[in-house]
Amino acid sequence: MTRTLSPKLVAYVGLAAVGLVAALALRLQELVVVAAPFALLPAVSLLLARSPRIETDVELERERALEGEELEARVALTAETGAARLEVLLELPRGIGVTDGHDPASISIGHDDRRDLRLRLCCERWGGYRVGRVFLRAHDRFGFVAWEWEVDRRSPLKVYPREEFIRDLLRPLETQVFSGHHVSRQRGEGIEFADLRLFVPGDHVRHVNWRATARRGDLWVNEQHAERNADVLLFMDTFSEASREGRSTLDLALRAAASLIGRYLQQKDRVGFVTFGGMLNWMLPATGTIQLYRLVDSLIDTQIVLNYAWRDIDVLPRRTLPPKAMVIALTPLLDDRAAGALLDLRARGFDLVVVEISPQPFMPAPSGEVSSVARRVWDLRREALRVRFQEAGVPIAVWNDERALAEGLEEVTTFRRRGRVVVA
Amino acid sequence: MLFVALVGIAGWLLAGLALLIRRPLLLAWGLAGVGAEYATFLRLRGGSVDSRAALVAAVLLLAAELAFLSLAGGLAGADKGLIVRTAGGIAAAVASAALLADLLLVVSGSASAGLALEAIGVGAAVCAVAIVVRLAAR
Repeated sequence: MTRTLSPKLVAYVGLAAVGLVAALALRLQELVVVAAPFALLPAVSLLLARSPRIETDVELERERALEGEELEARVALTAETGAARLEVLLELPRGIGVTDGHDPASISIGHDDRRDLRLRLCCERWGGYRVGRVFLRAHDRFGFVAWEWEVDRRSPLKVYPREEFIRDLLRPLETQVFSGHHVSRQRGEGIEFADLRLFVPGDHVRHVNWRATARRGDLWVNEQHAERNADVLLFMDTFSEASREGRSTLDLALRAAASLIGRYLQQKDRVGFVTFGGMLNWMLPATGTIQLYRLVDSLIDTQIVLNYAWRDIDVLPRRTLPPKAMVIALTPLLDDRAAGALLDLRARGFDLVVVEISPQPFMPAPSGEVSSVARRVWDLRREALRVRFQEAGVPIAVWNDERALAEGLEEVTTFRRRGRVVVA
Repeated sequence: MLFVALVGIAGWLLAGLALLIRRPLLLAWGLAGVGAEYATFLRLRGGSVDSRAALVAAVLLLAAELAFLSLAGGLAGADKGLIVRTAGGIAAAVASAALLADLLLVVSGSASAGLALEAIGVGAAVCAVAIVVRLAAR
């Protein structure tokens, strides 16, 4: 705790001294009358001032919240020795705002008194935060002396990105061996009819197709497509981002990633992720609710780290890219390294889908002829890159804040229906 | 009287500027300017003890308290209890200052002038400032 004298004290003492000296010099007793309160008030206030002893605790309503949700924070103050005026500031990180309550707040707390300050916090941006550092400043009755100290009662607060509405998920071209919700090309136990074949010993009687059997005279059985799960890998391009007014392409990418992770895991698919950028981060594909929390907890630590080193796909551990996995890349296509790595993935035979997080809404409108031409050249280069992906059989969905993610995914599905995808 | 008014205006302008640019020591100079205006007025007027000195003391203290409260951020974010307590504290301080000033005027009116009394006055002034400084350093 640090004790500081306020400038007010210096001013009052100075005024009192000047007034009293002037009174003596000019022989004006009225000046004594005017100056005396400026000496007496600090004297009385300092005489009555006591160093505060205040216990502080911070409680958050919960540890996890969704982007845009509100939660309550309570700062509990228990004073053994109170303060005439106590200023309390709960340090809030960027991305957490106050919707109701004062921060900083000024209160009066007496001896053996207890006060609770309640703040309604709004989780404005996803991320992993630690909330609970409180800065306190106590004043004596007339503000001549102040005591300042801080209390660290930080606890974690995880703000998850809010989910996007997705009607239909992208269907992977290849499935894995475990049961799931995707209709596989392989024959096996399932619902979707695949073909007819002659009965062989060991077949279940319930699979006999009696109509075909009656027509052909031999026993024929139905074959079904097996229902299998798939491996889905989310590839986050974190080399660069476009941002404006507190929003960025990374925010959109994370929102899409969180939505896709939740939906694919619901379908019993194995989901993993790779953040490919200045800092590499990955999580091996797995399934289940625990994986959902692991993935989302890891995702909210994602950040753009500036790096000029050239990186290709070889830097990723082999196990992060399981064979036959569907790779969904979330990228603003602003960095050649990410584009190169994605084309490399496609060349290696991965089922690749690119969701382009459009940086256009984050760009200022071009002003002047030169910048208009520059913007057009930039647009053309981006279009050329998209064509390169499409020529390689990679569907590209362009998504921004103004349209639903479901629309973008539907574009991919349409591309796949019409386009001829060659898996090497 | 024009000179008195000029000194007073300069004092209030300085105080206003101090509030605008949030400089406490400049505010002290402004208040000193207002005090100087009163001293100039008394010097030019001459005659008996000014009975309005108590009122001047109370108003100057009130102005100083409110100005320093404003410089300290006012009462933004303060709860009702603190606002009431602060207002009550300032009112009590101003009332006490007026009472004290009245008392001092009565005492000074009844005392007869002399070297000893002046020496006591100097000692009291030095002691008053020293006590405040000592309390602040505690």
